[in-house]
Amino acid sequence: MAHDGVVLEVDGVSKHFGALVALTRVSLAVTAGQVFSVIGPNGAGKSTLFNVIAGLHEPTAGRVVFRGEVITGLPPEQINRRGLAKTFQITNLFPEISVLDNVRVAAQSRAPESGRPASLWRRPDVDGVALPLLEAFGLAGRRDELAENLSHGEQRYLEICVALATAPTLLLLDEPTAGMTPGETRDATALIRTIALERQLTVLLIEHDMSVVMGISDRVAVLHFGEKIAEGTPEQIRHDPGVIDAYLGGADD
Amino acid sequence: MDYLLAVLLPQLLHGLVFGAALGLLALGLTVIFGLLGVMNFAHGELYMLGAYAGVAVIAVTQSFWVALIVAPLLVGVVGAVTEMVALRPLYRREPLYGLILTFGLALVFREAVRQIWGGDMRRILPPFTGSTPLLGMSYPNYRLFLLAAASALLLAIWLFFTRTRAGIVVRAAVQDAEMLDGLGVNVRRVFTLTFAASGALAALAGLLLAPVFTVYPQMGVEFILLAFIVVILGGMGSLGGSVVAAFVIGIAQSLFALWMNPQRVAIAIFGIMIVVLIVRPRGFFGREGVLE
Amino acid sequence: MSRALGWRAILAFAALAAVPLLPFMSKFYLLLAFDALLFGAVAMSLDLLMGYTGLVSFGHAAFFGLGAYATAALLERGVTSLWACLGLAVVVVGLYALAVSYFSTVRRGIYFALLTLIFAEVVFTFFRYTQTFGGSDGIQGVPPPELIPGVAIDSPLRNYYVVVAFLFLAYVTCRMLVTSHFGRVLVAIRENEDRARFLGYNVQRYKMAVCMISALLTGLGGALYPGRSAFATPDLMLWTVSGELIIMVMIGGIGTLTGPILGGAFFILLQEKVSSYVDWYFIVIGLVLVFIVLFMPKGLLGFRKMLGFGQWRTTA
Repeated sequence: MAHDGVVLEVDGVSKHFGALVALTRVSLAVTAGQVFSVIGPNGAGKSTLFNVIAGLHEPTAGRVVFRGEVITGLPPEQINRRGLAKTFQITNLFPEISVLDNVRVAAQSRAPESGRPASLWRRPDVDGVALPLLEAFGLAGRRDELAENLSHGEQRYLEICVALATAPTLLLLDEPTAGMTPGETRDATALIRTIALERQLTVLLIEHDMSVVMGISDRVAVLHFGEKIAEGTPEQIRHDPGVIDAYLGGADD
Repeated sequence: MDYLLAVLLPQLLHGLVFGAALGLLALGLTVIFGLLGVMNFAHGELYMLGAYAGVAVIAVTQSFWVALIVAPLLVGVVGAVTEMVALRPLYRREPLYGLILTFGLALVFREAVRQIWGGDMRRILPPFTGSTPLLGMSYPNYRLFLLAAASALLLAIWLFFTRTRAGIVVRAAVQDAEMLDGLGVNVRRVFTLTFAASGALAALAGLLLAPVFTVYPQMGVEFILLAFIVVILGGMGSLGGSVVAAFVIGIAQSLFALWMNPQRVAIAIFGIMIVVLIVRPRGFFGREGVLE
Repeated sequence: MSRALGWRAILAFAALAAVPLLPFMSKFYLLLAFDALLFGAVAMSLDLLMGYTGLVSFGHAAFFGLGAYATAALLERGVTSLWACLGLAVVVVGLYALAVSYFSTVRRGIYFALLTLIFAEVVFTFFRYTQTFGGSDGIQGVPPPELIPGVAIDSPLRNYYVVVAFLFLAYVTCRMLVTSHFGRVLVAIRENEDRARFLGYNVQRYKMAVCMISALLTGLGGALYPGRSAFATPDLMLWTVSGELIIMVMIGGIGTLTGPILGGAFFILLQEKVSSYVDWYFIVIGLVLVFIVLFMPKGLLGFRKMLGFGQWRTTA
């Protein structure tokens, strides 16, 4: 359950890798149902921030609070069980099994047998969760194909399906449209927005494509060299002089 | 005090030399794994081949010093050929195949040597005899030479990894092999050279230590098991960690040998490993993420 | 039950049960058949680890040897109940496997190979040099175990049927496992260990579980061995034996369960023929491993996949 509707709170998180400083006292708060985007130039620390939130790294300082519970330092599997799912910037699927099996193995982690002795002999039928997800992303026809044989765009969609199959309340999307054509990007953006609304998901998003960001975000934060330099609505960010300096630089619009 | 000088100190020095050799092997394992993604189960056999190549060269030239140059080169060539023929096809495949292949290679090398030279122990005589009085005791000159040689080698390697461009690139690539693509280097050649070089170093260690230990086909097996323990303790993300762990194990091995028979020593070293794994599962210098 | 036992399997086991009826089945061939099926079963249990979870165990022979020593130790002391022997094997192998599987899975994939090797070497060294267990000679000349008091398993024929029963039970167990929820997670771990964690699975626990199951099956197989051989020696635990087990899995077809059974049988029969050339034996073993990895990674049965006879290594 959320505190005042705040689903995720990142509180003064810093992350050092030896001498390399990746994040410096980053704070933000995401409220339920929001689509919150994190943008910034390459190397700004966006993926590192996601990895800290999702449990891959422990922060050097600061804490992460998810639905009122401090999750700092918990391993990724426990954070996922609490309702936080993440996709990866570089596609991270199970290559030599089918598309449907990819989603099934994700979905079955929420089956009642999961983690119990019964899982040694029972095989839960999770197609009721897996198939609708595949259909929503247009992958139903490819269900028996090996994941590694999918096109790049299809694999990005499968990434999201797999994450969604674990029934999260907060979805972390790390550059979901990376490598997609402009047409695919438009479709993907619309799809993400629709699904988020349908399932009442909160979405935290890393993106490079400004059209995506401005189009679907309720709120935007900007990272630069590991620090948050601005936060606000898309309109505010677009006109923030500091952001324009550091990042937008008058490029696209 | 007498005991300290007469017994403990020599064993300590011996342990340092042993640890240096272990460190060479462990470094080789770590670099190969980080760069090529293959755990080289045949590394101990490269160490062993160095000693036997030495036996062969000495038989022809009667010179230990010539062997010291030629033997590692020969083994380096063997390493290069092995990498090109047997390892290269495996880089894109699952890691399990590399393990099985190098395991098979180890068997082949070991048994081939046994067929050619027989299973009996052989001796390589040290290139010079005599001892030097030091701190009231006599230390064999060859052992002192070993100490100097080991230090020089490790220093050279340290310099390579920290001061030369090639070394810095390799060190970084051990952490993240994909970065090599962006640098415009001939990745294939780097891989082959790295494998050959680590094999040559292992061979050098084998030949240098041969006059102290005996030479027999199984000598690589026992050494590589210790090298694996070193790698486990030091963590594979850290080259420095491997060296430190190697010295710890080398010294422990030598000191324990004073008080226990060889089987108990092995179990004691194993016990150390277990304790460290319980207390610090990531090893001395293990780092989170990537390789750990 | 169709998940665990198809009609083809039932036919195969019926055929196996009928083998002793064949005219040329002398005692020698029955013993050979025993070995073939026993090691086939052990190879199958190793396939759970290698083919389905992607973990190579270089110390599997230690589980086998421990099971053999457990049985031999009891038989030597006059405890002849087969069930007592199996029970002790489960306890001994289970405890050892608990330690091995814990330490081998604390860190990522590659450490598993290193640590299983190291553990097995320590166990081998321990038994080789400990006189209580007979040192390098091991425990020799033990009496046959008894199924029930009065019914001793003292002939090749009886041993054969025991091993057929064992193979059957092991097969059913493995089939159930790989087609269950648990089996799916194993494959996911093999394909992408990290992603499996991000889906909520405690990967270490799964690895430990499959390692222990595989170890126990192998240990039970080892426990049946002294009934046929009348001895247990440290040589059963040599790392070359672990290498042979890996060959069995690879020849037959990694990740297929039935492949390794055939691979084990094939290897035993081949070894029987080649054993006269003992000197070259290990070179052949090494070369076979290298050859298989480079040219035949999917093994004999793996070719089925290339010819389109259905999927292998995927969950059903």
